[in-house]
Amino acid sequence: MNESAVFSAVFKDVSYSYHEEDGTVLKNLDFSLTKGSFNILVGPGGSGKSTLCNLFNGRTPHLMGGKLEGEVLIEGKSTADSEMKDLACRVGYVFQDPESMFATLSVEDEIAFGPENLLFEKQEILDSVEDLLDMTGIEEYRHNLVWNLSGGQIQKLGLASVLAMKPEIIILDEPTANLDPTATRQVHELILKLKSEGITILLVTRELDDFVSQADQILVLHKGELIGKGNPYDLLLEKGEEIDTLGVWLPETVEIGLGLMAAGYSLERMPITIKETMETLFSLGLIKEGESIKAPHKVYEQSSGAPLISGKDIRFSYGNGLYALKGISLDIHPGEMLAIVGRNGAGKSTTAKLLIGLNKCKEGSLDLFGKPSGKWKVPDLANHISLVFQNPEHQFLTDTVSDEIDYSLQSHGIFDKNKLAEEREKLLQMLELTEVKDDHPFSLSAGNKRRLGVATMLVGDPKVLIVDEPTYGQDREMTRTLMQIMCAIQERGVSIVMISHDMRLVEEYADRVAVFSEGLKHFDGVPTDLFKEPEILKTAYLQQTLLNQMLGCLKEKGINVEGHIPGTESFLKIILKNREAA
Amino acid sequence: MSQSNFLSFKERNSTLNGTYPFIKLIWVFLVAIGLFIFQTPISGGIMFLLVLTLALGAGKISPVEVFRSGIIVFGLGFLLMLFHFFINPGEVVWSLGFLTITDYGLVIGPVFFFRLSTIVLSSFVLIWTTDTRDLMTSMVKAGMPYRYAYTIFLALRFLPLIQKEVEAVQSAHSIRGRAAGSSFAHRFKLWQRYVFTILINGLRKAEVTADALECRGFGYSEKRTYVKDVHFKTADLILPVITVLILAGLIYMEQTSWKALLGL
Repeated sequence: MNESAVFSAVFKDVSYSYHEEDGTVLKNLDFSLTKGSFNILVGPGGSGKSTLCNLFNGRTPHLMGGKLEGEVLIEGKSTADSEMKDLACRVGYVFQDPESMFATLSVEDEIAFGPENLLFEKQEILDSVEDLLDMTGIEEYRHNLVWNLSGGQIQKLGLASVLAMKPEIIILDEPTANLDPTATRQVHELILKLKSEGITILLVTRELDDFVSQADQILVLHKGELIGKGNPYDLLLEKGEEIDTLGVWLPETVEIGLGLMAAGYSLERMPITIKETMETLFSLGLIKEGESIKAPHKVYEQSSGAPLISGKDIRFSYGNGLYALKGISLDIHPGEMLAIVGRNGAGKSTTAKLLIGLNKCKEGSLDLFGKPSGKWKVPDLANHISLVFQNPEHQFLTDTVSDEIDYSLQSHGIFDKNKLAEEREKLLQMLELTEVKDDHPFSLSAGNKRRLGVATMLVGDPKVLIVDEPTYGQDREMTRTLMQIMCAIQERGVSIVMISHDMRLVEEYADRVAVFSEGLKHFDGVPTDLFKEPEILKTAYLQQTLLNQMLGCLKEKGINVEGHIPGTESFLKIILKNREAA
Repeated sequence: MSQSNFLSFKERNSTLNGTYPFIKLIWVFLVAIGLFIFQTPISGGIMFLLVLTLALGAGKISPVEVFRSGIIVFGLGFLLMLFHFFINPGEVVWSLGFLTITDYGLVIGPVFFFRLSTIVLSSFVLIWTTDTRDLMTSMVKAGMPYRYAYTIFLALRFLPLIQKEVEAVQSAHSIRGRAAGSSFAHRFKLWQRYVFTILINGLRKAEVTADALECRGFGYSEKRTYVKDVHFKTADLILPVITVLILAGLIYMEQTSWKALLGL
């Protein structure tokens, strides 16, 4: 069989180490990507996904050096014998942060950049730019500056720029990591469009949703080893439990399937889509038409006292003539967990900066802890409200984890050596940072950086803690740990404000949710009620969780669904209990 | 929503936007050469006002953009001027303990202020009114290999990103409070950390960009296709010619009159 006629890429017993003396980063990888197939590479942070991707375009070993064993064949030719510039014509790589790969100023120039380097004809490039602007849906932004695009538009431009070079394989490195649900869906639609055009795709991710059902192959990487490969249905049935323990986000539908298997039910096929999950539940007799799925209603008990923060009709502009907030009213009560959700650019971060005093409220009124916001100085306000930034590195000021915590303690007036050591130990233990206390903050893992960010902000017992995008750069286990820490802090009476577009987190943890879109607040209430308002979700470019979508479908089938079901675990408990009772 | 980036290229219907990019680059060098030749604050001051007028008039740059982009550099220029008040020899016009201000220092201080501010302002005019891509194309047309032309001006592409990064770091630091020491020591610590954070992230970005350029066929061949071209017009020469005439006039005035007037 002529391999190159069937496969775009073949890995033959590939192992790699960055330096000969170091350990092997990738171990004995054997797999292939069939031409025109859609493949997903999944694994937790640090599993070797990026190193593996670099083998496709020859960056490893040509630029990175190191020791490569085995053979990587792209279109039948070994990457070790190919020059990077030749591989550039065959393998398109969309980086995790496409903004860093942009080399020009405007959108259309960026798309033309690659083919210009590859000496494509001028007219061919112009035609290609038109086609790709249209295909990716960014035609109206063609003259925009690249740094003025939203997260979704940046991903689309990154993809268009790579497609312009007419590659046979496209590698997308976590393209939806920080996108709102609508932008994520658009990127997924784009991937399917590429698949239909015969392009081989490798999507790298640490989060799987029901889109996985469209894949031809899933590759599971853990500690540099390929622990599973195969079509999504067979692989998730066989290895779903193992993938789950790695900390990879699985679709809620698969979580239900795995839960059923754990409860002793035998499944022939893992349900991935909502339809398949419902069919499984009906066929197992776990749900029957006319039955009820009842859960306790979530009652939001708002604190009876005065709100800590009260904003009325706030309008805010950065001075460029555009209003980031167009009349927002928002109260924050003691001890609640409030989620502020909305797409990128909805006004969430602007609001957070107003609350911590970095932005000044000039239109409307904003009272912070009983005083108008204008009367607060930022350092004084920091004793009452803290913000854990999306990128914790921006907050770090010293050279070790311990010093970083000491800095915060000293800025709150704690200078006594014994007291300092005692408080530092307390925080290190609480955030599980003791083992890395002497490390440089910049050298920590993504999860530990987040924890250190939280630790520095907890000093001084703030009354309100704002966390910007808890899922940013985190896998499932890291996110869960962070959220458990948030819950523990909330139990101490601190109000938590979570800025996110992850609806699973909102449903599971938030007491109250405020929906922002285009600088306006469209909803303020309990999450369960939000999911009953599809129009609001649509306006805010949000999406229901898969579980809620399924519950909606069950209702349409005449099943009575009542109460608040925050996640798949609760859902399974209810239906299994119903069956036992029956 | 992010704040506006003041130090970045914008499409404007201005004379300077329409001027041939390579000519504008030559103009920046001419201004710089002139400012290094000037020996009196009068010529430096006149040149500063002329460049500022050119930016506001022929460049249609708003005063806010000039102020926001230039505040740090103008501030540094001011500090440099104060520094020169004290360190230069000459007749003492004011003293307090060991600190003395000399007459020569009072003249030479503003020379340094205008030198720094005018050169930086002219560079800003180039950035505000020139698409990096057009500048690169015009340099390649002038005979420079495109790899070098592109590498030099890729830095301009990153200015807005660095500006965003500085704003984010400043915001994050401002809510950390002050641990100990004087206000000056605290500010110094913050500056150290800005530089560290921005340097580290800059290096990371540079590494990604270098890899991305390789992956996108940069340097695939000695030649390259250019979808957008730039065209030189004879009228573009007006800018450097008038600048040379003004510089020559100012140097002449310095030598024949102003130096003597200021006792130099």
